[in-house]
Amino acid sequence: MATVTLTIDGQTVTVPKGTTVYHAARQLGIEIPIFCYHDRMPPLGACRMCFVQVEKMPRLQTSCTLEAQEGMVVWTESPEVVEARRAILEFLLINHPLDCPICDKGGECPLQDNTFRYGPGASRFVEPKRHFPKAVRLSPVLTLDRERCILCWRCTRFGEVVAGDHALKGHDRGYRTHIDTPPVTLERPSKFIGNTIAICPVGALTSGVYRFRARPWDNRPTPSVCTHCGVGCAIWVDARGGEVVRVRAREKPELNDIWLCDAGFFGYDYTNHPDRLTTPFVRRHGVLREATWDEALELVARALQAASPAVGLLGGERLTMEEAYLLGRLFRSLGSNHLDARVDAAFTPPLPAYVWGAGPFHALDEAGVLVLVGCDLSEDYPVLWLRAKRALGRGAVGVAVAPKRVEVSPYLRCTVVPRYGTEADVLYAAARLAAEGKGSVPEGLDSVDVASSCLRAGVREEAVGELAESLGGRGPVVFLVGRLSLDGPEPERVLAAVQTLRAVCGGELWLLHGKGNAVGAALAGLAPDALPGLSPLQDPMARSRVREVWGFDPPADPGLPAPAMLEAAAAGRLRVLYVAGADPARDSPDRSLWQRARDGLEFLVVTDLFWTETARQADVVLPALSSFERSGTVANLEARPQRIAPSRMGPPGARSDLEIVQMVADRLGRPMEYASVEAVWEEIRRLVPGLQLDSPYPLPRPQPQVDVRVPPPGAGDAGLVVVPAAPLFRNGEMARRCRGLPELAGQPTVGVHPQDAAGLGLADGAEAEAQLEGVAARVRVRVTEDVAPGHVLVPVGFPELPRGLWVGGRRRLSLRLQGLQAPATLGSQGTSDGPSGERAHLEDPR
Amino acid sequence: MGQPVLLRHVREPDQGEIEAYERRGGYAALRRAVREMTPEQVTDLVDRAQLRGRGGAGFPTGRKWKFVPKDAPVKYLVVNADEGEPGTFKDRTLLEGDPHLLVEGIALAAYANGVRTAYVYMRREFSEARRRLERAIAQAYERGYLGRKILGTDFSLDVYVHPGAGAYIAGEETALLESLEGRRAMPRLKPPYFPAVMGLYEKPTVLNNVETLCCVPWIVREGPEWWLEQGPPQLYSVSGHVQRPQVVEAPLGTPARELIARAGGVRGGRRVKAFYPGGTSSRPLTAQHLDVPLRHEELAKLGSMLGSAAVIVMDETTDMVKVIARVCEFYRDESCGKCTPCREGTVWVTQILDRILHGRGRWEDLDLLASLARNMTGTCFCPLGESVPPSLRAGLEDFREEFEAYIRAAREPVHMPVRLHLGAPAPGG
Repeated sequence: MATVTLTIDGQTVTVPKGTTVYHAARQLGIEIPIFCYHDRMPPLGACRMCFVQVEKMPRLQTSCTLEAQEGMVVWTESPEVVEARRAILEFLLINHPLDCPICDKGGECPLQDNTFRYGPGASRFVEPKRHFPKAVRLSPVLTLDRERCILCWRCTRFGEVVAGDHALKGHDRGYRTHIDTPPVTLERPSKFIGNTIAICPVGALTSGVYRFRARPWDNRPTPSVCTHCGVGCAIWVDARGGEVVRVRAREKPELNDIWLCDAGFFGYDYTNHPDRLTTPFVRRHGVLREATWDEALELVARALQAASPAVGLLGGERLTMEEAYLLGRLFRSLGSNHLDARVDAAFTPPLPAYVWGAGPFHALDEAGVLVLVGCDLSEDYPVLWLRAKRALGRGAVGVAVAPKRVEVSPYLRCTVVPRYGTEADVLYAAARLAAEGKGSVPEGLDSVDVASSCLRAGVREEAVGELAESLGGRGPVVFLVGRLSLDGPEPERVLAAVQTLRAVCGGELWLLHGKGNAVGAALAGLAPDALPGLSPLQDPMARSRVREVWGFDPPADPGLPAPAMLEAAAAGRLRVLYVAGADPARDSPDRSLWQRARDGLEFLVVTDLFWTETARQADVVLPALSSFERSGTVANLEARPQRIAPSRMGPPGARSDLEIVQMVADRLGRPMEYASVEAVWEEIRRLVPGLQLDSPYPLPRPQPQVDVRVPPPGAGDAGLVVVPAAPLFRNGEMARRCRGLPELAGQPTVGVHPQDAAGLGLADGAEAEAQLEGVAARVRVRVTEDVAPGHVLVPVGFPELPRGLWVGGRRRLSLRLQGLQAPATLGSQGTSDGPSGERAHLEDPR
Repeated sequence: MGQPVLLRHVREPDQGEIEAYERRGGYAALRRAVREMTPEQVTDLVDRAQLRGRGGAGFPTGRKWKFVPKDAPVKYLVVNADEGEPGTFKDRTLLEGDPHLLVEGIALAAYANGVRTAYVYMRREFSEARRRLERAIAQAYERGYLGRKILGTDFSLDVYVHPGAGAYIAGEETALLESLEGRRAMPRLKPPYFPAVMGLYEKPTVLNNVETLCCVPWIVREGPEWWLEQGPPQLYSVSGHVQRPQVVEAPLGTPARELIARAGGVRGGRRVKAFYPGGTSSRPLTAQHLDVPLRHEELAKLGSMLGSAAVIVMDETTDMVKVIARVCEFYRDESCGKCTPCREGTVWVTQILDRILHGRGRWEDLDLLASLARNMTGTCFCPLGESVPPSLRAGLEDFREEFEAYIRAAREPVHMPVRLHLGAPAPGG
C-alpha cells in the first residue's frame, strides 16, 4: 500500500495514502478537537473546529478534510490555531443556552469538553441570545432542543449516509437554520433514530425515554447484549439506583459497529415495569393464586415426573444458552426429546441442515449480490440492514423476491413481488434464465418453463430476467431467506428453489428467522432432532460425549418440533408442557391449534416476566428474570456466543430460568449442581467442540443442488389473500411496556393494493370490516403498492387485531373486506364461534 | 470606443427571435465550430482570448475547460444563471435581450467539452428571462442547433432550464449543484467535489456564468485577437447614486470615474463618497480610487476584487454605518448555515451594528468588530461568510469617524432588550 510521511508538531508519522491529517495526528496521540466529523461518515468540514496550520498553505486547514501529503509539515497548537479554535468555540457558544446543569448530555458532552480544553475563558457577547421554542418532541422517543444544537449535521448525515431513512433534515437557513423532520411526512418512523442521539455532540437530541432520568456519572454501565431480534448487538446498559435507565451501543465493528436499532435503544423500560411478576402462581379450583416457590416447584416436579416421557418444552429465544442447555438435559433425562425454540414458526425444517441462522455477518462486506427472499431485512434485523446497506453503498447489488415489497426496496436493483407463496416460481424461473445465460441448463432445471412460472407468480418476465442477470459476475452471492417466505405457505419449495439457484450461481444460504437466543438455544441442545452442537441424535460420537458428561443416554428417537408438539398435546399424547419465556398462545402460528393443545394438556407451566396470554392459561406460573438481570451466554443468528451480564437486581421473588430449572431438577431427584454459570458454559463447550465466546460457530448448511418441485394445485382464493408481516415496532408484551415504543408502533393498518381498494371503494385511511373464517374485525385500510393485487398485508403482533386475521399455520388465508360508513373505534369486535375463536382473557389474578 | 460587443443587439426588440439572431450573424460560430473545428480548437480559441469567468471568481475559462477529463463517458454543462450578487444585473440583461447568444454559447461550450446535457440553473425571480430563454431554446431545437445530430454532425445536446428556489448561496457553484440535484443548497467540500471532476451527479461538470458563455460565440466568430482588441469587452453593472443605473459595456480595466460618467454621473451633481467595485462581497473603495482600473490585478492590490463587476456608487450623503449594517444583514440572511463562523459571525456582527445604529454602541465594539472580522477571515467554508469582513474592515478603517459619531451620541447603556424568537412561540410563552 502506498504511504506518505509527514511531520505533525515535530513528530514524523507514516500513514497510508488517503489518510486525513486528523487521523494521522491521532495515530501520534495528538488530539484535535472535532464536532461535525464522525469517522463512520465522510468528512464534511462544517464546524471548522479541527483547524491546523500547514506550512506553505495560505490559510488554516480543517484537518478532518485534509489528506496527508508527503512531506507536509503540520502544527496543531500554533498561536494561529489556538486563536482560531477559540474563535470557533466563541461563535458556537454565543447562542448556546449553557444550561449544562439541566442537560442530559452534561458530563459526557463534547461541547463541554472542548470548551473546557480549548475555549475562551469569557464571552464577549452582550447581545440577546437566539431563542427557539424548547424541547420539541420530534417523535415519541426523540426530543430536540434547537437552542443547544450547534448544527454539526451529524444527525442529518446519519439519515442520509448510514441509515438511508432521511429522518432529519436542515430547515431554513443562516442563523435560523434548525434541524427538524422533513417537510414530507415519512411513511414509517425511523428505525435508527436513537443513533442520532448517541452521535449528537451536544444535548440537542435527547431520548424521550432517558430524558432527565440520570446524570451520566451516576450511571453504572454494564457491557451486555441486546436480545430483541437476533442480531445480538453489543450494548452498554446504564443502571441507576436499581433501574435500567439507558441502553447504548457498545462498539463492535464485526457485529453492530457502533449502531443500534430503536427497538434496542429504547426497548428496556419493561424490565423496570411494575407489572413484573414477583411471585409464583398456581391454579387452584380453576383460579391462579399466589403461591410459594416450594409449592409451585413441587407441583411442577410432580407433574413432570408423572407424565414423563410425555413432556415437552417450548421456548429458548429469551433463555441463555446455559438455561437452554440445562432444560434440554433435564428433559432428556426424563426421556423426552420434545424440545423446540421455534415457537412462532409453522415450518420447522429438520435440523441440522436447515437450522436458523446466518454465516458470519462480515460476509456481507465482501458480497457482490444480496438476494432477499421473503426477507424484510430492515423490519426483522434492522442493524444487519445497516451492514447490508453499506455493502450496497460500496457497489454490491441487492435484489428481492418477497410477497410484500420489502422496506429497503428503494436501495435494491430490482424487487419482485409475486403472489403469496409463489416466490419459488420466480426463483426457479430466475435459475433457468441464469443457467441459460451461462450456456448450460443442468438436468432437472429444463423442466422449468419461465413464461408459465411468471404467469403463476403474477410477475413480468423482464423483472425476473433482471433478477437473473443481477446474480452473475458480481462476486459472492448471499441468499437471505426470511420470515415472509419461511412462514409462508410453501417454505419447502422456496428452499428447494433457493438450493437450485445456488447450484446455478453459487452463494451462501442464510435463514433469517429467530429472535434473541433462538439459534443459541438450538446450539445448546434445545432441538427435537439434534444434540448440543447440532449433532444428529444418532451420531455415536456425539452420543458418547453426552453420555460421558450427563451420565445417561439421551433418547434416540427424534422428538416433536413445536407445531407437532401442540398437535400431540391436542391429541392427549403430550401431557405436560413447560413454556420458558415464550407465549405460544399468542405467537403460535395456528390460531386453533394452540387452543386445542391447551385443552388437551394435563399441566402447563410457564416462566415469564409478565402475565402473557399463555401465562394466564397456565397451571403454574413462575416469575423469571429479564436479560438485564442475569448472567449467561446468548448466541445471535451467526451463532456467535456473547455474554450478557446483570445490570440490576430482578424484582424480589423472581428467579432466573437457570435457577428455576435447577430447583425443578433437585425436586425430581436429578440434581444439576454447578459452581457458577461459567461452569455450565464450560460443560456446553465440552459437548460442542469449537464453541468459543465471541466467535461465530460454523452452522451446517446443505450442499446446493438442483431440486425442482412442482407447485401444489392452486386453490381458488375467496377474497383477498392474507400476507402476514411482523413490523419491527409492534405491541408485544415487552414492547408495550416500554415508553415510546407503542406510539412508534402506532395503530395497525391493513395494506390493500390500489386496484383492490378501488374495486372495494376503500380510500386510504378508511375503516372496513374484515371477515375471515368466523372472525370479524374492524380494521383501518392503508392503500399501498407494497402487496400484489388480490392480497392484503396484515401486520402481526398487535393485540388490536385479532390473531384470527392472520394466523393460519401453513394454510393460505383469505379474507373479505367491506367498507364501513360510520366512524368507529378501531379494534377487535371479537365475534367468535367454535374452538377457533378468541378465548376471553382471564381476570388478572392479582 | 467602438461598437459594444456583448450588448450590441440587446436593445433590438426582435433579437429574441431566431431569424433576427441569425440575420445578425448568429449561430455562424456554432456552424463553423461543429463542421470545421475540433473541440480542442474551440477550447484553444477561448484560452487564447484570455477569457476569465464573469461570475465573480475570475478563473480563466480555457483552463477550467481543460480540467474536465476528455474521456469521461458522461459529462455535464451547467450554466450559472442564478445572478444574485447585490448590484449585479448584467446576466439578466443578456438573458432578456439576447437569449440566443447564450444558447449558442452553451452549444459551443458543450461541443468543446464533449457534453451532451446542459442545465441552466436560473434565479427564480427571472421569470421574463426564463420565458425568453425557453423560447429561444425551443427555436434552436427546431432549427437543429440543439437536439440530436446538430447541423447534421454527430454532436448532440439537450438543454434544460431549472429555476432555483431563491437562495443566494445557490450561486456558489457547488451549492448550485446540490440544489440542482434536489438537495438543500449548501456548498460541497473541495476536494473531492471539484465540479470539473466530480460535479453534477458526481460526474465531470463544466460550470460557467451566463456572461462568460455569451463571450464564447464572439470569440469563435471573430477570433481571440479581435476579442482582445475590443478591450476585452466587460459588462459592469453600475447602480446606486448615479443618474441612470445601467449595464455598461467597457473594456476591462475601465476606471469607476468613466463608468459613472457613462451612467449619467452622480445624482444631483454630488460627489462620490465610496463605491463597491465588484458587488457587496468586494471591499468598498473611496473617492480616491475613482481612477483605479477596475481589473482583477489592480483591485486585488487594494484588498478588493472585481467580483461580478457590480459598481455600486454611494454619494457624499451616504451613511456608511447603515450601508455596512445592511450589507451584513444580507449575508446574515443568506448564509446557508453550514459552517460555524458564517452562520454565527454574520448574526453577531449585525447585532452589534444594529445596537450601534440604535444609540447603544460602546467604544469596545469597534475592536470587537475588528476581531470578529479577523475571526471570519480564512475560517469560513465558502466565500459567503468571507464576504462580510471586507465591508467591515473598510468601515472601520476608512469611515471610522462615522462609527465613532454614533458611539459618541449613544445615550442608552447596553442591556438585553428583546428576546429574539424564531419559529412559533413555545406553548404557554
